[in-house]
Amino acid sequence: MTEATERFFESLPARAPTVLRGLVDGTLQIDLSTDNQTEHWLVRMRPGAIEVSRSRGPADAIWYSSAELFDRLIAGEAQGVAAVLRNESTFSGNVVLFLGFRRFFPNPPGTRDPREVARKAAGRLG
Amino acid sequence: MKELVSILDGNTFMVSDREGDIEPSFDFPTGLFSFDTRFLSKWVLTLDGERLHALSVDTGESYRTRFFLAPGQPTHYLDAKASVIRNRAIVGSFEEELTVLNHSGEEVEFSVRIEMAADFADLFEIKHARQKRGRTTVTVTDNELRLVYRREAFHRETVIRSSAPAQVDAAGMTFRIRIGRNSEWTTRLHASTIVYGARGEDIRATLPYGGSRSADAIRAEQQELIDRAPKLGCDCEPLAGAYRRSLNDLAALRYESIALGVRLIAAGLPWFMTLFGRDSIITSLQVLPFLPELIPPTIQMLAGLQGHRVDDFRDEEPGKILHELRYGETAGFEEQPHSPYYGSADSTPLFVILIDEYERWTGDVALIKRLEPHVRAALEWIDTYGDLLGTGYLWYRTRNPETGLQNQCWKDSWDAISYADGRMPGFPRATCELQGYAYDAKIRAARLARTFWDDPEYADRLEREAAELKRRFNHDFWITDREYYALALDADGRQVDALTSNIGHLLWSGIVDESRAGKVVEHLLGPRLFSGWGVRTLAEDAGRYNPIGYHVGTVWPFDNSIIAWGLWRYGFRDEAGLICDTMLAASRYFDGRLPEAFAGYARSLTDYPVEYPTACSPQAWSTGTPLLLLRVMLGLEPQGEHLIIDPAVPPGMGRVELLDIPGRWGRVDALGRSRGPQDGQDT
Repeated sequence: MTEATERFFESLPARAPTVLRGLVDGTLQIDLSTDNQTEHWLVRMRPGAIEVSRSRGPADAIWYSSAELFDRLIAGEAQGVAAVLRNESTFSGNVVLFLGFRRFFPNPPGTRDPREVARKAAGRLG
Repeated sequence: MKELVSILDGNTFMVSDREGDIEPSFDFPTGLFSFDTRFLSKWVLTLDGERLHALSVDTGESYRTRFFLAPGQPTHYLDAKASVIRNRAIVGSFEEELTVLNHSGEEVEFSVRIEMAADFADLFEIKHARQKRGRTTVTVTDNELRLVYRREAFHRETVIRSSAPAQVDAAGMTFRIRIGRNSEWTTRLHASTIVYGARGEDIRATLPYGGSRSADAIRAEQQELIDRAPKLGCDCEPLAGAYRRSLNDLAALRYESIALGVRLIAAGLPWFMTLFGRDSIITSLQVLPFLPELIPPTIQMLAGLQGHRVDDFRDEEPGKILHELRYGETAGFEEQPHSPYYGSADSTPLFVILIDEYERWTGDVALIKRLEPHVRAALEWIDTYGDLLGTGYLWYRTRNPETGLQNQCWKDSWDAISYADGRMPGFPRATCELQGYAYDAKIRAARLARTFWDDPEYADRLEREAAELKRRFNHDFWITDREYYALALDADGRQVDALTSNIGHLLWSGIVDESRAGKVVEHLLGPRLFSGWGVRTLAEDAGRYNPIGYHVGTVWPFDNSIIAWGLWRYGFRDEAGLICDTMLAASRYFDGRLPEAFAGYARSLTDYPVEYPTACSPQAWSTGTPLLLLRVMLGLEPQGEHLIIDPAVPPGMGRVELLDIPGRWGRVDALGRSRGPQDGQDT
């Protein structure tokens, strides 16, 4: 397990009130694999709250990723749906949970506010 | 262009020529496709080394075709000693029953050959052919040809099997057969399209509905959907035909998303067999009065995939509703941004509009309450990221100039937005209908906030903002000396002054000042926009007008259905009826199946609607068009717990009755009858 991953999971309960909203309700198991082992995280999500533990199911959905891909996701360098489409990452079960969890992932590094960029280009900002 | 034959089941579909053959093509997508990948790019039948020609093709059903073929080229003295029937269906996978009939009085030896290949092209690679990044391998075993494509973990397979013994090689199958006199020989060919997912399993095996169903199951499921829809009784055959066809096509366009595991409606064959924000919302609005149960999966997936971060490659921002989700290789490896792509400025306000309309018909309060945060996030997007320049309007400008969309409104081709003289404005652009949608979204969300979210203050604020937007819009977009609304504002706030069908959407949204509605209607039905078959996308005298230009002169049925809705909203029932009437008249020339678009030539010039060369068909929001036209003619509008029925049936159409219209009232019937000189005695 990487330190970044651990810090990421630790931060989730405090972020949940603003991040988890609407349709999300259920338990997602996240399996992170390295060459020789798989590490399990279990997140119980509902609107406004998340409980995190280091364990396996029962879960409404399981999401499989390499530890290396997960590090890139939590740094904003990779995107979850594309990773599933190229089969680098897979999931089974209720997709809404995966879509809800992905909301914790940050912007790609170096992203600027598009309004600032557009207003500058249109000469509306100094 | 050669005439093509398509069959589909959900987003698995096959496009072949009239003989049933597929040859590698890089312009129009011919082949067997599933989830944006071409699983067969070659499928060519020969009999004793000779190609066949079609005697007839049976295209009665969406998922099945039969080709009746004879060897050689057609001549006057056709006296074939043999003929061939190809009976094919899309049933999750592809099946073809191939029968060779010997018509001679003696036993004959034949060599039957099918050339087979799979290029595993992503749909986005069809128009721009390029070297595949992965590797294809071919395995030959007994009566089976296996074509495998791998690129890292991305893994697709086509497996073709024959029921009759075959000599299989890497390029196809050969059958050396003897057929007795006046006898026949048959084999069943089966091609599976396998998408590998978790732990090396076919991804569809893990989905709730599974990938493969029998032809009987498809027929039963389509019939079940048709049975649930209201029954139409009418004197007007084009209307009856279009309605029947629409229900069939809606049933056929439903597919199970491999990424999402729910049933969604694909947007259009062949280019758009996937989830689009705008198309699925407009189709949902059209279909809602007829089949409301099709709507929640679409709403839930759009909400689940709502933008949550700023991502320049995908034009994503928090609260934004997606434009397009793809399943293919280029999306997965981020060579295209569709995972999903968020490049549309209208899907977000349209999402709010759909949710309100859905509740008004169904009374499904539980879903509305759960969606509250998603609706609020959408409204916040309208006021923040959507208002790119901070001027109180919705603007768009892609941050992905390489693979993003320049125009992020429904007219999204590169040349769709222009001044009357044909020049094109810079970016960002604020097209007029976006502002109408934003206005309508705020008005409707105010109702939701007051009625369901217990937030009257928010409701008041939304209504104030909407009123202010309407006032400003009518000042900034109205071209005083020409008496219509500008197509857009350019980045300097100047009017982009082309006359377009977009002004009809403004009527639907209610943003048009009552005093100006008459002028807008005159333009919509005047000779510059109205072709006699429908309202053109762009006026005939505009610099970029082209009767066969995708968004610059063609007539789009869906566009006209929204315009008819707008005309009705402002009380122009006769004018709305005229559009309903001409659209239905046009549908007769397409066997009841309105295409994505047809040419903008004047009706007096061509007598029939000229097909747009590469129009998609079936196309979901064209399929939904006859349904919305029916609603407009019968004047169906939910009010509280009741359905208001206020028919205005166009002259000559006779009786129109729609039985068992579902909604919060249970089921009710609506009856309308035209009243005009050609309708005889008024009753």
